[in-house]
Amino acid sequence: MPKIRFLLCFNSLLLLLINNESFAQCCSSGNPFISDAEQPALQSKVLTSSLTYRYSHASKYYAEDSPFNDLPFEQTSYSNYAEFQVGYGITNWLTVMADLGYFFNKTLTTTGQDPYKGYGLGDAELYLKFNAYTNPRLKFSISPSIGMKFPIGVFDQEVDNVQLPITVQPSSGSYKYTGNIFVSKGMGKKIALAAFVSYEYSQLIESDNFYYKYGDQWIGAIYFNYHIWKGLGIDLQVRNEYRAKSTRENDEIVEASGYDVVFFTPQLTYAFKHNWYLSAYSDIPVYKYYNGIQMSFGYAVSARITKKIDFIALKARKEAKK
Amino acid sequence: MKRFFVVSFLFLLLLAACAKKDAVKLSDSIQIVSLTASLNPVKAWDTTVITVVATGDSLQYGWKANHGNFTGGGKQIRYAAGECCVGLNTITCRVFNNTGEVSDTVMIRVTSYIHPKKK
Repeated sequence: MPKIRFLLCFNSLLLLLINNESFAQCCSSGNPFISDAEQPALQSKVLTSSLTYRYSHASKYYAEDSPFNDLPFEQTSYSNYAEFQVGYGITNWLTVMADLGYFFNKTLTTTGQDPYKGYGLGDAELYLKFNAYTNPRLKFSISPSIGMKFPIGVFDQEVDNVQLPITVQPSSGSYKYTGNIFVSKGMGKKIALAAFVSYEYSQLIESDNFYYKYGDQWIGAIYFNYHIWKGLGIDLQVRNEYRAKSTRENDEIVEASGYDVVFFTPQLTYAFKHNWYLSAYSDIPVYKYYNGIQMSFGYAVSARITKKIDFIALKARKEAKK
Repeated sequence: MKRFFVVSFLFLLLLAACAKKDAVKLSDSIQIVSLTASLNPVKAWDTTVITVVATGDSLQYGWKANHGNFTGGGKQIRYAAGECCVGLNTITCRVFNNTGEVSDTVMIRVTSYIHPKKK
């Protein structure tokens, strides 16, 4: 049985890698960064599953660190996005996590033109999180993880046989490899501090008329968590997202690509009975730097519902009832 | 439960991986006579009109670009690309009917928008 599972898994990855020929455009970065991914590894036989909804909005062009208002039109870009995430603690030191994104719409409006609207599956991610070090007495843990993103959604969506712009395509079109590390430290009963660093490498997209590679991405975040009252907690996060410039045909550097943005992300979470959690948060950029002239990030608001199941506790409860 | 999630996820991946595109059927009865752009090179965010002239019955037209955006459709389309797409871009026009399809490409150079700080 373990052999069959391994073969299934291996074949899936192989098929996905082989099926890399239908891509035809550039520039989208795929699923948005969902800031809750950075949790410590789960305990053995603990399952978490969450559903996140996110609305994001952008309408300002930036040239380097300043708004750029000289363009002879106005554009607005917005999306409604949902992400399903599931994680399971295989052992106390290994957690498997997967997520899948879906865009209900990814819309670009320009004055004097019909809007462009794309929709559909985005990228899927599969990653392994390790419980490298835990000290319950010090409330200190270190959880590195490695993962891979699969562009399972479409990257060449058309309307009436005309290809939509890349900015509204739901998938990034590129396989990506990520490595992260999450460190957390509890301070007393009500406060916790955490830090997260992530690196992402994008695979080259290459087909007949297309050659494109997204720049590498680095994300660094620090978190302050405070337990306000009963099940209510607040998280304050400062996050820096940096992406290097992309490369296109003939190994030309795409000068108007790549950015450095600092976000402030406040989050409220309420823990209900039976391990249900409800969170709401927003991503607010406090510093933006874009190479060349690019549409800049505006804001995003998100809501998430999470369910956690501890199978060991469940089994113990059932046996106690007997 | 664990098995259910693992199998479901792998099944979804397999479905996505197996969605191969249909093979292209080339047509002998369609011919592309010309594929031209009104403006080439074109500055970032300016528009050029691309026109295809083709012979054949009940023709339909499809458009793709490796970088940049289209507005409109049919045998004449408007193409523009932002600063992200500066360089030599490939526009592919596909002409098709019930006998099959043919396609051709035109290369359009998109030049940089003048940055006010560099004026």
